[in-house]
Amino acid sequence: MSRAAVLTALVVLGVVVEIVVPDRAIYHAGWYNVAIAALAVWAIVSTRRAPLIAFGVGAIAFACIASGLLGPDTRTVVGAPETSVRVDEAGGTLAFPAAQADPTVLLQRGASAQPIGARRYTATALLRSVPRTVVAVDVSDARGAHLTITQPTGSAFLSPVLLMQNTQTIAGLDLPFDMFAVPAAHRIVKAVLFSAAQAASVPALAAAHSPVVLFDLEDDTGASIPRGIGVAPDGRSITLVGLRLRPRVLEYPAVEVTSIPDLAVVGAGLLAIFIGVLLTRRRVAR
Amino acid sequence: MNARLRWLLILGAVAIALLILVPLFGSQRPSVSGPAGMVGQTAPVFTLHDDRGNPVSLAQYRGKVVVMNLWASWCPPCRAEMPDLQTVAREYARDGVVVVGVNQGESAERAAAFAHSLDIAFPIWIDDGQQYGRTYAALGLPTTIVIDRRGVVERGFDGPLTIEQMRSTLAQVVRAT
Repeated sequence: MSRAAVLTALVVLGVVVEIVVPDRAIYHAGWYNVAIAALAVWAIVSTRRAPLIAFGVGAIAFACIASGLLGPDTRTVVGAPETSVRVDEAGGTLAFPAAQADPTVLLQRGASAQPIGARRYTATALLRSVPRTVVAVDVSDARGAHLTITQPTGSAFLSPVLLMQNTQTIAGLDLPFDMFAVPAAHRIVKAVLFSAAQAASVPALAAAHSPVVLFDLEDDTGASIPRGIGVAPDGRSITLVGLRLRPRVLEYPAVEVTSIPDLAVVGAGLLAIFIGVLLTRRRVAR
Repeated sequence: MNARLRWLLILGAVAIALLILVPLFGSQRPSVSGPAGMVGQTAPVFTLHDDRGNPVSLAQYRGKVVVMNLWASWCPPCRAEMPDLQTVAREYARDGVVVVGVNQGESAERAAAFAHSLDIAFPIWIDDGQQYGRTYAALGLPTTIVIDRRGVVERGFDGPLTIEQMRSTLAQVVRAT
């Protein structure tokens, strides 16, 4: 195999690996991109008698380097149920479904809506659905009348689903927590989630045999309320200072967005290399 | 390399550069957050119940201009805004405008008592799951959405409106559709 073929194959291999195994810090490292550029220049010089191959190698390397240096870092988009979040890398909007059994996030672009599963490629990004644990809370007053829950600092003001994006450590356990308000009762509530395994490791919670939510009530000035702390196992209610709180622990998807080399450019580059190889072979055969 | 092939390569390179750069820079348009971000979209519709327990839906108002006001009894600006909504509901009824108050997260009894205390005559719907608030990206209460006769969101407002703002908005929407 000629040097040109080996160099071309290495560049192609590099981009294929970036697409199939994305989300590696190395792709954003300066030295890696310099190496890809150097490899590509060497390949282009070596294939100068086959301009289409040289062009294809250049296009692929360009897409690789553009993604590595200019593409955004991998991020996780966490949306509240029944909300939409614009994702520019994907060229569309993620529509988060209702918190129900087997919820699937949809990528909406124009009139089309595609489900995000284990892997959904767009032109410049890979989208992956990743499950997270969230807590839906029902709140009612002492007479059982339903009360509004608001999340002034959450991703959706009027969502009763807590996305639990913060973490605090209690007794050596890293526990997700979230806050919500019950304006009609002038209460601010902190909800701390213990998974079933974490609850089992705490003697006072072990009897629940399920995830447990610890509620800590404050008034709307932030002052603690006597007897305002209590725990409720998943699906069961607790009444604290006139408020009845019932948590439901749910699995709900978030979407991980990873930038990849532009698939249209890579496709064009591979096509150019393929045609270039065919033309070169025909010329050699003559 | 002949001249034609060279030009083809140059054009190809430019096209590829554009393919890379347009998604990276061209899509950085400012996104509008809150209810105003819904403008131009078909209004999502859910079946709810009114304060008397009857099933209701925005679909029943297709062909009319709908002013959907999201509110709650604990919200002082909502209380302040209600009489003005009542006034415009009367003024624009002949133009096919309907005002609907969608209570967010409270019981039908509480919502009905609140509406009764203010002599509100327009329909009061109960959204105890706060679906409309989430879907229309409410940033607070009150939130007001104006939906045109085709069922498309025309305006989205975060916070209370003055009666002048209501009249001006409705005059434009009624005239446009």
